[in-house]
Amino acid sequence: MEQFRKILKFELKGYLTNKVFVGVTCFLVAVIFLVTFLPRLLDFFGSDDTGDTGEPPEEREVMLVSGGDESVRTALAQAFPEYEVRLTEGGVKSPVTGGEAACAVELRGLSDFTYYVDNLGIYDTNAQLVAEVLTGLYRLAALTEAGVAPERAEEILTTEVSFDIQSLGVDQGQNFFYTYVMIFALYMVILLYGQMVATNVATEKSSRAMELLVTSADPTAMMFGKVTASCLAGLAQLVCVFGSALLFYNLNRSFVEDGGILSLLFDMPPSLVAYMFLFFILGFFIYAFLYGAIGSTASKLEDINTSVMPVTMIFIAGFFVVVFSMSGGSVDNPLMTVCSFIPFASPMAMFTRIAMSHPAPWEIGLSVAILAASCAGIGVLAARIYRVGVLLYGTKPTPGQILRMLKKAKN
Amino acid sequence: MISAKPKGVIHLILALRDIHKSFGEKKVLTGVSFTAESGKAFGLLGRNGAGKTTSIRILMGVFPADSGEVLTDGRPLDHKKVGIGYLPEERGLYPKKKIIDQLVYFAQLKGMKTQDAVRACDRWLERLGMSEYRDKRLDTLSKGNQQKIQLVTALAHDPEIVILDEPFSGLDPINAMLLKDVVKEEIGRGKIVLFSSHQMSYIEEFCDAIAILNKGRVAVTGDLRAIKREYPRDRLAIRSPEAGRIAAAFPGRTEQAENGELILKLESPAEKMSALRRLSESFDIDEARVFEPSLNDIFAQYAGD
Repeated sequence: MEQFRKILKFELKGYLTNKVFVGVTCFLVAVIFLVTFLPRLLDFFGSDDTGDTGEPPEEREVMLVSGGDESVRTALAQAFPEYEVRLTEGGVKSPVTGGEAACAVELRGLSDFTYYVDNLGIYDTNAQLVAEVLTGLYRLAALTEAGVAPERAEEILTTEVSFDIQSLGVDQGQNFFYTYVMIFALYMVILLYGQMVATNVATEKSSRAMELLVTSADPTAMMFGKVTASCLAGLAQLVCVFGSALLFYNLNRSFVEDGGILSLLFDMPPSLVAYMFLFFILGFFIYAFLYGAIGSTASKLEDINTSVMPVTMIFIAGFFVVVFSMSGGSVDNPLMTVCSFIPFASPMAMFTRIAMSHPAPWEIGLSVAILAASCAGIGVLAARIYRVGVLLYGTKPTPGQILRMLKKAKN
Repeated sequence: MISAKPKGVIHLILALRDIHKSFGEKKVLTGVSFTAESGKAFGLLGRNGAGKTTSIRILMGVFPADSGEVLTDGRPLDHKKVGIGYLPEERGLYPKKKIIDQLVYFAQLKGMKTQDAVRACDRWLERLGMSEYRDKRLDTLSKGNQQKIQLVTALAHDPEIVILDEPFSGLDPINAMLLKDVVKEEIGRGKIVLFSSHQMSYIEEFCDAIAILNKGRVAVTGDLRAIKREYPRDRLAIRSPEAGRIAAAFPGRTEQAENGELILKLESPAEKMSALRRLSESFDIDEARVFEPSLNDIFAQYAGD
């Protein structure tokens, strides 16, 4: 236990004083700072630009309208406050290509027009808006013509149906975003830190520090110490990133638009955060043990990438099942249900089901129990492989050789 | 002299008894037995692949023997009570970490408290003239200096048994002398020092007892002087300016040794006194003694195929 503590402390210090680790964490926090403070900053600068008078900015771009009368111009000017809407008798193409006007609308009656613009941006919805305005004008004219009083006609046209949605389970539309972010964070951190454990072990082996380590410390303590240290480092990074995100978001809450992506992202229930930590820790351990064991069988650092491939593949497969099920809208499909009980996939699969559906409590309990038991089992197995693996130099042992050695070591 | 907490000098007898070990189908050790004791250096010799490192790893408990025992004072070696320091042949620590950090780490793994570990490591760094590198990264040091740092990991926790695998390889003469002094001090402090080396001169200089391994078996073991005495004492080593005349006087019975001495083969050990008399009466003799084989000779005889 004493050795475990020493190893944990040494390894953790290694992570926390690693410039790359600290740098990446700071960078992520800085990015989150920018994203969460952006609405406040925009608001700050935006209010400077437009002032509080509500008057449109003086320098506005020109929208030309041909074939329409003053009522059309007024309606368009109301719909496009950012443009100076002008009537014109002449052609509209050359002013647009020449740059005197930003865009132009050529009417052939109220129900037919052409929209001219120099370069059509992907977010340019002006034509749709013009169509809406003209539809309104056309219907108003038609109703008036049919003898309806103009006030009544306007009332009919502006009536909207009010409605309300009440989800009795979870709202998948809302929690899709944060579930996705959390699954992605789980995926990234487990993969990154798992591989770090493998590299760490292989580095000790290739630098021959292992010669001294195996004679100084118990391999089980080594394995658990290393894996726990990288788990804590990963957790620390997650807490830093998610913690600062929550903090910054709450500081800027009043500036964030309700229902926007940011609010969708941050309005996650605390119980889900707790589940995330639980599944992160268990999922992390199970993979880090495997990565550590694999690292111990590699003689050279270059071998690591190919050696860890099978484990990484299993993990990526689990990730894809989860992501496709999420985007398919059915997180309770049979594949997901099975995956949520398989230790290598359950950290992501069960977490997603908890976040986006309502698995029965016994299902959650069983999934966590299987996962925790597998973790312990794989931990012990990994320590055994480690004990045998670290002393093997030269050619990489085949899985069969490792199994035989394990059997022998057990006897 | 370096002394951590002065431990009471415990007299220990370390014995490997009939150790067998196989890796898969390959038999690596067959009935290996030898005995080393406190205050003496023991030389473990053998060619590459003879089983030295495997014996050391079994002794250190890295893996168990298939059969046989490792005993201290007749009881199974208890790693919690008997400390072992090890300088592996394959040197290597953490190249990117601060020297003092990793030295303290290894001392802690051996059971030292942080404060004691820092103190002991600092003392050893000073003893080896390495204090100025205390806070440097290991990979900024020369190979010889890295080796001295590694030596600290073997000694800082004041172990009862010190195992040094090829300790002199890669050291310049000054550093080799420093290491010799340190080893002598450790022997003087009652440690069991186990040497494994191919450099016979060092073994001969330090070791009272040896074991020569050949293909996993002990070819010969015991007190080095006794082993030498077991050779028939039927040759004289002569140093003389008249070597040519002596050779002519004993036709077919002399050969020139590498060190310039003339080796005279006697007809039997009993001829020693008469031959010495004849030599001293007829020739100018600087030195004449009974020839004893060097460790090199013994090694060549026992470790060869």
